[in-house]
Amino acid sequence: MLYLQKMIDTNRIDVSKPVDLVAILNTGLYKLAPDQQQFGVNLTDDGADIFNAKICIEVQWASELVIAAIERAGGVITTAYYDPHSLQAMLNTKKFFERGVPIPRRMIPPPDAIEYYSDPSKRGYLADPEKVSEERLVLAQKYGYNLPKIEDDPDYEMLTERKDPRQIFYGLNPGWLVNLRDKVILKPQEEELVKYYAQKVGSLRV
Amino acid sequence: MNTLYRKLGQPIYKTFNAQFFLNRSSAYKSAVALENLYPNSSLKLSTPSKPFQSENEKFNGFIPIEKLDITYSKSSGPGGQNVNKVNTKVDVRFHLQSAEWLSDEIKLKLSEILSEKITKDGYLIFRSDLTRSQQLNLADCLEKIRGCIRRSLVEISEPSPETQERIRRRLERAARERLLIKREKSQIKRDRQVPDVVL
Repeated sequence: MLYLQKMIDTNRIDVSKPVDLVAILNTGLYKLAPDQQQFGVNLTDDGADIFNAKICIEVQWASELVIAAIERAGGVITTAYYDPHSLQAMLNTKKFFERGVPIPRRMIPPPDAIEYYSDPSKRGYLADPEKVSEERLVLAQKYGYNLPKIEDDPDYEMLTERKDPRQIFYGLNPGWLVNLRDKVILKPQEEELVKYYAQKVGSLRV
Repeated sequence: MNTLYRKLGQPIYKTFNAQFFLNRSSAYKSAVALENLYPNSSLKLSTPSKPFQSENEKFNGFIPIEKLDITYSKSSGPGGQNVNKVNTKVDVRFHLQSAEWLSDEIKLKLSEILSEKITKDGYLIFRSDLTRSQQLNLADCLEKIRGCIRRSLVEISEPSPETQERIRRRLERAARERLLIKREKSQIKRDRQVPDVVL
């Protein structure tokens, strides 16, 4: 967290937008090697005592103290899973788009991780936001701070912005093909492909 | 492959220095989106003010943090520069009698049980320098407060007359057996001596 605070203070990370793995990787300071079974960012409680930035952050693992420190400062933290294939796409996004491959859909976490990511106390991305709200109060009571009212915050929209569980990049859907040369996005129209990329069609369950 | 895609000549926004103009209505929603996983939920992050307090429960664990007087200071013990500079010790105090978040019953019991922790002015003090982190020490202080309140609410019932009778008989029997063994050992020692009576 100390490193994160430093990156924020030195304007490496823009806190007016949601911060996710792509934003952290784009700073160039964080190295990730998915082929070595590394699944993303584990936010440690190193500088939890002095952390005071209001951010909307999405990491892969966070301990209770870390979650408390971020929520005390008025921010929102979510833990999300990215499978290795998506991680490779996020590592060097420009290179990925130059490959000319449509954006894949993010996989659901494996059985040993799905419990963690469905847990509201761990702020999992598959957990119920209402239960997460309750857990926020629990943590505030445990660590002794007053929970700042985020509904009254002018940045509420930005702080509660979330990706879909199948989405890798903000604003880009899986299945889209980004053409950087012609500055164009190609979207699938064929019904089969649309169904595969599971844009909500009726009550389809994939 | 190309036939499956139709070109949409749309000016795109830069993807890696992304600018987020997420149009809520056309945002991507897959089959595993939160709307589909939790159809009855409001999906909004809110700030509840107080947890549920039932009639039977006297203390549900809620402490209003703004009513506590929290001060930080430096901890004692070894630790070099870190212990000399960092305020890791936490001192939490509140005036017991004027605390509205505690019932009178709890206040009475606490003033009896924690009489050593109350100052002359009536302030109840809790201190902690258990860990290296200020936040964890604050959490420890709050846990101590909650623990004390919960312990004060536990009513230790006196044992029934039958149990008391049984305990009394047990103690008596133990004393009898102890004296029996003592006398036996004493007799063994006396047998080793020269007898008093010379026949």
